[in-house]
Amino acid sequence: MSLLFRLVVYVPVLFLIAIVVVGQHHTTARDTVRAAVVRTGRWVIWSVVLIVCMLAFDLVIGW
Amino acid sequence: MASSTTTNPTRGLGWAPFLLGFVPGLLQLQLGQKKRAAVAFGSCLVLFFAGWILIRERLFYWALLTPDETGSEVLRIAAHFGLPLTLPEILNLPANALGAILCFDGSATGERLWRMPRDFEHLGGFLTGASGMLAAFWSAAAHWELRLLRDGGETSPKPPCNPALCAGLSWLVPGWGHTRAGQKDKGLLMGAAVAVVFALGLAFSHGHAVDRATYSVWWIGQNLFGGGSLFAALVTGPMRMEGMPPNLDLGVVLCTVAGLMNLVVMVDAYTVAERAVFPLKQRQEAVA
Repeated sequence: MSLLFRLVVYVPVLFLIAIVVVGQHHTTARDTVRAAVVRTGRWVIWSVVLIVCMLAFDLVIGW
Repeated sequence: MASSTTTNPTRGLGWAPFLLGFVPGLLQLQLGQKKRAAVAFGSCLVLFFAGWILIRERLFYWALLTPDETGSEVLRIAAHFGLPLTLPEILNLPANALGAILCFDGSATGERLWRMPRDFEHLGGFLTGASGMLAAFWSAAAHWELRLLRDGGETSPKPPCNPALCAGLSWLVPGWGHTRAGQKDKGLLMGAAVAVVFALGLAFSHGHAVDRATYSVWWIGQNLFGGGSLFAALVTGPMRMEGMPPNLDLGVVLCTVAGLMNLVVMVDAYTVAERAVFPLKQRQEAVA
């Protein structure tokens, strides 16, 4: 439940942040939304990589 | 479009205008705009003291580094001479200094007064903070004029809206500056993004995320969305906390993230208006 709650908050907020970040490089809302979707996908992948690395460290070091 | 080959959009104006910008109106005075200089100085002073009469010594408690007895001696000396490190009030240096000189008391009794909550302190804290933001926008307006003098020619087109005004409007209502600068739909989208993140933060914290008295460092970031922090100062801030909300920390972080997002929106609104007069070189070449 807690993980689901975090995901439900995390991904939409990531998308909203992406809108503001990529909006600087576009002039219309349509282009901004398209670029924000791509950027959000990329950030989600990086987030997963980060979590996997942390879990791996957890297994190796035993935090 | 203004010129062209010699315009380098990334070239700044140097340290002197940046430092002079801490005194509202000084740059306007340098530009020969005496009336505007007086209005800039007066508006920042009035706004600061409208809040200061409500909070007075409380500002020392909200400083980034509190000048109390356990802190550094340098901080205490600086506060004594009117230089407490209070953000964003430090951007309105003369009023901030005057306010500090009028009420700094480093004794134990004085420090107790810093910690004592006041009536309407949320509103007072917002107003003094707003004076710092206003000083920054006056400074940005003068920087724009200096930039026009340096890089603009007689044939320079006028921007759709003064870039500093665009940034200031976006501080109050995210996206408003873009609307004035000619990018209405993008402004609405970016503004909605900021407002939704801020509203989520307030909802998760049951309205207690934006409270300068409790989260003074976080408030510095939250205040970058002026309309949101004004709403919080008037509506949610004074509400009594009935138990600790389970997601209070998440709410505080989201409201701060919304403020930082709005900083990007403000800078972009300034840039959009600026580019109408000084387009980027590669874009100019593409048009040619």
